[in-house]
Amino acid sequence: MSNFTLTDVEKIISVMTDVILKNEVPFCELDSAAGDGDFGMSLAKGFRELKKEWANLERGDIGAFIKSCGGVIAEHCGGASGPIWGGGFKAAGRYAAEKTSLSLSELAETLGAAADGIMKRGGAKPGDKTLLDALVPAVDALKASAAAGDDVKTFLKKGADAAAAGGEATKNMVASRGRASYVGERSISYPDAGAAALGIIFTEIANAF
Amino acid sequence: MKKLINTPETLVPEMCEGIVKANPCLEFLPKYKVVKRKELNPDKVTLISGGGSGHEPAHAGFVGYGMLDAAVCGDVFASPSSVQVYNAIKSVKSKKGTLLIVKNYSGDCMNFDTAKEDAKDDGLDVDSVYVNDDVAVKDSLYTIGRRGVAGTVFVHKIAGAAAEEGKSLAEVKAVAEKTIVNVKSIGFALTSCTVPAKGTPTFSIGDNEIEYGVGIHGEPGIARQPVQTADVLAEKMTAALLAELKISGGAEIAVMVNGFGATPLQELYLFYNSVTKYLPEAVKVYKVLVGNYMTSIDMAGASLTFLKLDGELKKYLDAETKAPAFK
Repeated sequence: MSNFTLTDVEKIISVMTDVILKNEVPFCELDSAAGDGDFGMSLAKGFRELKKEWANLERGDIGAFIKSCGGVIAEHCGGASGPIWGGGFKAAGRYAAEKTSLSLSELAETLGAAADGIMKRGGAKPGDKTLLDALVPAVDALKASAAAGDDVKTFLKKGADAAAAGGEATKNMVASRGRASYVGERSISYPDAGAAALGIIFTEIANAF
Repeated sequence: MKKLINTPETLVPEMCEGIVKANPCLEFLPKYKVVKRKELNPDKVTLISGGGSGHEPAHAGFVGYGMLDAAVCGDVFASPSSVQVYNAIKSVKSKKGTLLIVKNYSGDCMNFDTAKEDAKDDGLDVDSVYVNDDVAVKDSLYTIGRRGVAGTVFVHKIAGAAAEEGKSLAEVKAVAEKTIVNVKSIGFALTSCTVPAKGTPTFSIGDNEIEYGVGIHGEPGIARQPVQTADVLAEKMTAALLAELKISGGAEIAVMVNGFGATPLQELYLFYNSVTKYLPEAVKVYKVLVGNYMTSIDMAGASLTFLKLDGELKKYLDAETKAPAFK
């Protein structure tokens, strides 16, 4: 396989949904150290609804599918996760509009569009100790891997490793966005919950292919 | 976890149903979890606030004549979605426009801002203010700014009175912003809160410790410290707020001692007594509120809020309100 079809994209989002639902409590615990402990719950709420709506999502093309996922997530995730994750999905959907398959480099670009959408919505940038610190390195690794002509397995593995390493690296950062920013230096030594979660999600997606 | 609930999932709607059944002038829109006045005045600016649940009586308890027109209820400690806020705006549409009173948290700001833009696209006149009264956290270029906490209740009261008087949207916004600039708060926790859906305390804290500068979601503040007497805390907190408000000579202030949910009134009144010991003589207390206004579910602890007053703010603070929780 060298292209991702709608079925593959459905599989990616379906694995992601299962990981988020399975890790509801652990993801809350990641958020308790410097945040308010509701991250896993808020995220699971939106993806639980996504699972419920799964059969009714638009499937005209890949972009339409991702965008309709974004609509459900934006409406049903609680707190900041709705606009951030929903906004990311919607931006990715706009990039993939009318596409029925994605090459490896197009998949990397789709994820890059999600990162840009999240930056625009939340006003954060890499280094602020947010999920972007896992997402942006993953996008870079995926782009490089696609350019190097890697196979799908290697491609996904490199993206997942970069996301996990990015999540881990947030332990050494001082939060400057989101609720963890209120505690400034006391957030050091705890990873950002969103970045750490993305590392886990991407790893499980890579394992599923 | 021991809580008087049915299931964590149905807590918020069941609570809202209870609020409106206890206060027949209010109604609940279950689809978007909005508590609103049953009868709206289309000739005044309408006011909407809201945020995560768990801060009761905020914000639904402050809906009523003289204060808010609607409160949008998110899940416990999670902002409502932009779709909920957008529908709240539509539900209290007025000829004079709508003001959103938002506590400065990332999730609330993003969802209320998105809803505001969507409503403006529909041709509605909507504006917003952001309350950031918590002095516990630094206000710098590198953070998203200070949190909005108990001082928000004063913004509801004063903007609500101005709206009731028939002021324009720009005028109501201006008096809300004047209140925001002049209101400062700081709090401490003796115990953690427990989010029902999680079932365990948000943070662990020793029997002999307090979290000084805690936020209203149990998020950390300035420092973990040994337990102190009410007098010691009152002296430190009073000094911090006076310094933030740059009150060195005479001033008139309103004071709020706000319980976080699990601290008995006897301790809140005792704490207010301690505060009065450390207020300079030239600082006159014009109005005092002692009670639970902006809670953190079942956290023990309290916050102290000072609002620096002038003639206009005093007039609106004194104006009549029928909101069930403002006493």
